[in-house]
Amino acid sequence: MPLVAAFACAHTPQLLLRPPTEDRALVLRVHAAFTEVRRRLAALACDAIAVVAGDHIEGFFLDAVPALGVFVGAEASGEFGPYRYALPVHEPLARAILTDGIERGFDLVYSQSLRLDYAFYVPLHFTMPEPAVPIVPLYVNVYLPPQPTPRRCHAWGEALRACLDGRPERVALIASGGMSHFPGTDRYADPDFEFDRRLLQALADGRGRETARLTGEELDKTGNVELRTWITLLGAVGDARAELLCYEPSWHHGNAVVAWPVTAR
Amino acid sequence: MAGDGALMEAEAHYFFPPASAFRLNECLYRLKSDGAFRARYLADAEAAMIELGLDAPTRAALRGFDRDRLVGLGAHPYLVFMAGLRLRMEREPEAFERF
Repeated sequence: MPLVAAFACAHTPQLLLRPPTEDRALVLRVHAAFTEVRRRLAALACDAIAVVAGDHIEGFFLDAVPALGVFVGAEASGEFGPYRYALPVHEPLARAILTDGIERGFDLVYSQSLRLDYAFYVPLHFTMPEPAVPIVPLYVNVYLPPQPTPRRCHAWGEALRACLDGRPERVALIASGGMSHFPGTDRYADPDFEFDRRLLQALADGRGRETARLTGEELDKTGNVELRTWITLLGAVGDARAELLCYEPSWHHGNAVVAWPVTAR
Repeated sequence: MAGDGALMEAEAHYFFPPASAFRLNECLYRLKSDGAFRARYLADAEAAMIELGLDAPTRAALRGFDRDRLVGLGAHPYLVFMAGLRLRMEREPEAFERF
């Protein structure tokens, strides 16, 4: 069995640790969407969750900046404030993705010793079913230019799907990131929600493939550098129509949770 | 600096981190991700910055923690954002609701 589910969602840390600047009711509405993802993941009884996320300059600093990578250690651990997490990794699947990806022409970096960024942890904190499922962390460079192009991310997602389709495990895919936000810049309080809404409509129409034609400059201008993780997932889900579980624009962030139906190929 | 490509990068919100700002970005990175360094910084910021070899103008910019000034020196905007948030999480843990 290959890919059995696909979701994309925000991971803003204020969903985990809420300062007084954040609307509590909005945060709880996003949590409710996460709960729905968790319910679906539990019902699917998947063997592994592959998480495509950007690294917030946590696992990788400027000593090495990989475009695309796979974590192939036994356990992925990290911390964020009071949270300490250690998540088992599905090693056979992680190694298969790495090896198959290289064979398909993607020069993936791999690591067995990295701090797992909260971009991976936040969605799993809210959506991991019981009993817990092992993960495969898949890195995409989103914050340190030059980042991989949307076209390359989409192609990597297509290759990832081909790999998963040849595997025995039932795998759920989660893209963690987005939507529009500009942390640390003068646009922080001015996200591009109109871009997000147009994009969500395109995804609902099954036109996710169009994201491969976006440019890095467009992603930067619209606060969507992290959309590269979604574009990777879109390469894997093809023309499936997205189901919007929530879109909650806060004063600084387009919080979205989206699901795609996945059918065997 | 190179040609047009470098100009475009300079206009991006998330621009290429200039090598001249490596120590500054290292300091922000460690404030964000290295709890022991963050504790030393909170106890004695000047000593922690000197430990990383930061020059006087950079240390002054970090003391004020003014985003525009730090970014003007080449700091990565995300590192400024999260280093500031992590310092606040240490100084005011009671201000955050934990889920």
